[in-house]
Amino acid sequence: MATVELEQVFKQYGSTPVVKGLSLKVEAGEFLSLLGPSGCGKTTTLRMVAGLERIDRGVLRIDGRVVDGPQVNMPPERRGLGMVFQSYAVWPHRTVAQNVAYPLTLQGLGAQEIAARVQEALGWVRLQPFADRPPSQLSGGQLQRVAIARALVARPKVLLLDEPLSNLDAALREELRGEIASLRATLGTTMIFVTHDQHEALALSDRVAVMNHGVIEQIASPEQLYREPATPFVASFVGGANVLTGTVDGSTFTTHGERFELPGEGPATTIAVRPEHVRLGEGTPLRLLARLFLGSAVEYRFALGDVVLRAVGPAVEAARVGDHVRVGFSQVRRYASPAES
Amino acid sequence: MKRSLALALAVGAVAFGPLGVLLSRGLGVDWLATWTSPPTLLALRGTVVTSLGAAMLALTVGLPLAVLIGRTDLPLRRTLQAAFTLPSALPPFILGMGWVGLANPKAGLLNLLFGVGTFDIYGAGGIAFVLGCAAIPLVFLPALASLARVDGALEEAARMSGATPLRALLGVSVPLALPAALSGAALAFLFAASAFGVPYLLGVTATPPTPTLTTRIYSEVLVGSEGLARASVLSVELLALAALLLVGSRALARGVLLSQGKGGARRPVPLGAARWPLALASLSVMFVLVVLPLLAVALTSVQPVWGQFSGLTVKHWSSVLSNARTLDAATRSLVLSLGAASLVTVLGLGLASRRRGWLDTLAGAPYAVPGTVLALALLTSFARDVRFIAFDRVAFVLALGNTAWLLLLAYVVKHLAFGVRNASDGFAQVDPSLTEAARLSGASPARAFLDATLPQLRAPLGAAFVVTFLTCMTELTLSVLLIPTGRDVLGTLLFDLQSYADPGSAAVIACAFIVLVLLAQFVRRPKEA
Ligand SMILES: Nc1ncnc2c1ncn2[C@@H]1O[C@H](COP(=O)(O)OP(=O)(O)OP(=O)(O)O)[C@@H](O)[C@H]1O
Ligand SMILES: [Mg+2]
Repeated sequence: MATVELEQVFKQYGSTPVVKGLSLKVEAGEFLSLLGPSGCGKTTTLRMVAGLERIDRGVLRIDGRVVDGPQVNMPPERRGLGMVFQSYAVWPHRTVAQNVAYPLTLQGLGAQEIAARVQEALGWVRLQPFADRPPSQLSGGQLQRVAIARALVARPKVLLLDEPLSNLDAALREELRGEIASLRATLGTTMIFVTHDQHEALALSDRVAVMNHGVIEQIASPEQLYREPATPFVASFVGGANVLTGTVDGSTFTTHGERFELPGEGPATTIAVRPEHVRLGEGTPLRLLARLFLGSAVEYRFALGDVVLRAVGPAVEAARVGDHVRVGFSQVRRYASPAES
Repeated sequence: MKRSLALALAVGAVAFGPLGVLLSRGLGVDWLATWTSPPTLLALRGTVVTSLGAAMLALTVGLPLAVLIGRTDLPLRRTLQAAFTLPSALPPFILGMGWVGLANPKAGLLNLLFGVGTFDIYGAGGIAFVLGCAAIPLVFLPALASLARVDGALEEAARMSGATPLRALLGVSVPLALPAALSGAALAFLFAASAFGVPYLLGVTATPPTPTLTTRIYSEVLVGSEGLARASVLSVELLALAALLLVGSRALARGVLLSQGKGGARRPVPLGAARWPLALASLSVMFVLVVLPLLAVALTSVQPVWGQFSGLTVKHWSSVLSNARTLDAATRSLVLSLGAASLVTVLGLGLASRRRGWLDTLAGAPYAVPGTVLALALLTSFARDVRFIAFDRVAFVLALGNTAWLLLLAYVVKHLAFGVRNASDGFAQVDPSLTEAARLSGASPARAFLDATLPQLRAPLGAAFVVTFLTCMTELTLSVLLIPTGRDVLGTLLFDLQSYADPGSAAVIACAFIVLVLLAQFVRRPKEA
């Protein structure tokens, strides 16, 4: 268990800035997710923590000790971390047991201790029967379990996971997600988990850091993140909210040439409305573009000027595509800053 | 199915028919006695010793070089890679000529510098050395390709497990590239065992002479009809050795583990303080093994008398270039090489378009047959006219013996592998939906092939043509055995001039080969990028 602290970290590739002044503190034993769209710099951030990339500016501390910063650069092999890669990265020329034993071999432990700890680690991921198999005889889910056992066997200070589940099919993903959660409960290792899947992040984490364009937009517990998104981007990325920019006059909000009555008062240039908070049947008439049956509910898409407004409601409305339906908002979040994606 | 069978029979007949005829020539001979006779054993020993030495040299230079160039921040990697790829495009005979100029015990340049008798390129050691240098690309290139396919995360996972960069390289990437390198070393052995020019140049006149199977076969052929039978028996031995090596190489290559992931996107391992010393060492190796012998050839071409360095002259150049024999040989080489390259490309396309793996393998098989054996097989098969009689009336007479047609046939049979391999790699890359789209737009199958499929094959077919053309232009082994009496191609001219006391003129032709090959490299470079 250890803390990880990034302070005003910058990173650019060539002339493209990728991480722009990122600050973050991961507490000891915490499970923190880095969540964000593709290309926002999640992997880069994780690799900087790992030591696989140098930081350009700023300071990185692990367990309170500076490991990367001006005049300091501790190579990855000395940081005492574990990492699980998206592509598994299980060595094809070594058996399962040899893969898992490798970090211990490098520590120069005795053969008996290594064997015992490899057995223990394989037990965590339920792979003991596969110890002597070559990786070519394992499935994707099993390979990723080998990678997890290998990353944890030396009891790292921090476990880094870069989209470990994204190469797996949906059912396996669920299963392995549960296993990561229970491993984390047993071992109590600090974990940093990179993903672009909000469900994964919300389900697993103590806190989620939502990244966009190389900065953290909000860092909060899953519930807080969902209930009180700090920026329009977080509202739309985590809750799937409609983000609308316009002007407020009293309780009337004008956007894309349409006027809506907002619940409550307050200044705003941008509002975020979750699809489930779009009420049908009263308010401003909008043309229905599409009606998508989701099973328990129906998603409606309305034309609002040149953008699309999404609503989710019970599967009873008989509105037909092309009709005008009255639309209002039961709950909105107001933001003073304009939206940017 | 019937057509496939007929095609298989035809290809099989061309690939293996002559070998069968060759075998039958040895039927009357006491095989065991021939194989266990002291001269044969000596030749076998020569082949094994020189080939083993060559394979080991190729491996010890090729693998570390591939690791340095493929996985580290060594300076001048591109230069080194280009230089160490070069020997694969040149006939090894030229490197041999260069080394004769450098390390002839009496008059070699190095011996004039370091004292007479310091180096002696003649004999088993010299043959192994020269063939080893020529075989470096056979190990280097597959190892490099194999390293490039290793997923970068595999090494990073080792770093995260606590390994230093060097340890991660040696513990992960090198073992993953090793099967490819070993498989290449087996090919290097096969290459050296099949070589004829270098063992002839450096073995026959060595004291004591170092015969190999190929040079023994050649000298038996020169004896005449009785020798031909013995040569046939020796060929079987060489052929068995070749088959063994090929199987070994294939088995080793099967160990090439394709790692998941896309490879690439990896940070080269920083060499730190060792960066420039290692670069200097690599450059020195490159200079000695590749550049120096070629410079020596160039130097030989301007020496007034061989081994004399004052009063350099262009007399060899002017005499060779103005000689009618040179012109005649160059024309014949050009015509034969263009013909062979066209046939190889077209036949390769035709065979590969059947999309049958075994057919490709069959058509590619003669490439693995040592040139001496293949030439001998064709020689015996067409020594007499072959008659086909159809319907009891029409007779076709195939009289190829002692004509340039036989040489053309040999070039095509030997290098058909280039055409088939390139075309079938090309077909594997072709996007079938483009052809299907053409069909749905109303094109007939033939039209769709021409308009949609063929354009996608242009690059691999072009490469097959160029490689075949260059190889035939500089070909030596087949040419020496199959050239009609009194005629020449460039390869036989080079061989004759070098063997019979005019190394200056031979060097001129060698220089022409070097220039041709370098030009081709530069022309092809931009296309690959
Ligand atoms: N080695 C590199 N050289 C140049 N640019 C890079 C490099 N690695 C990443 N980038 C760029 O940096 C940006 C951030 O990349 P990063 O891999 O951190 O994104 P990510 O958030 O992990 O995205 P994804 O969800 O797609 O994995 C991208 O625009 C990417 O193209
Ligand atoms: Mg990523």
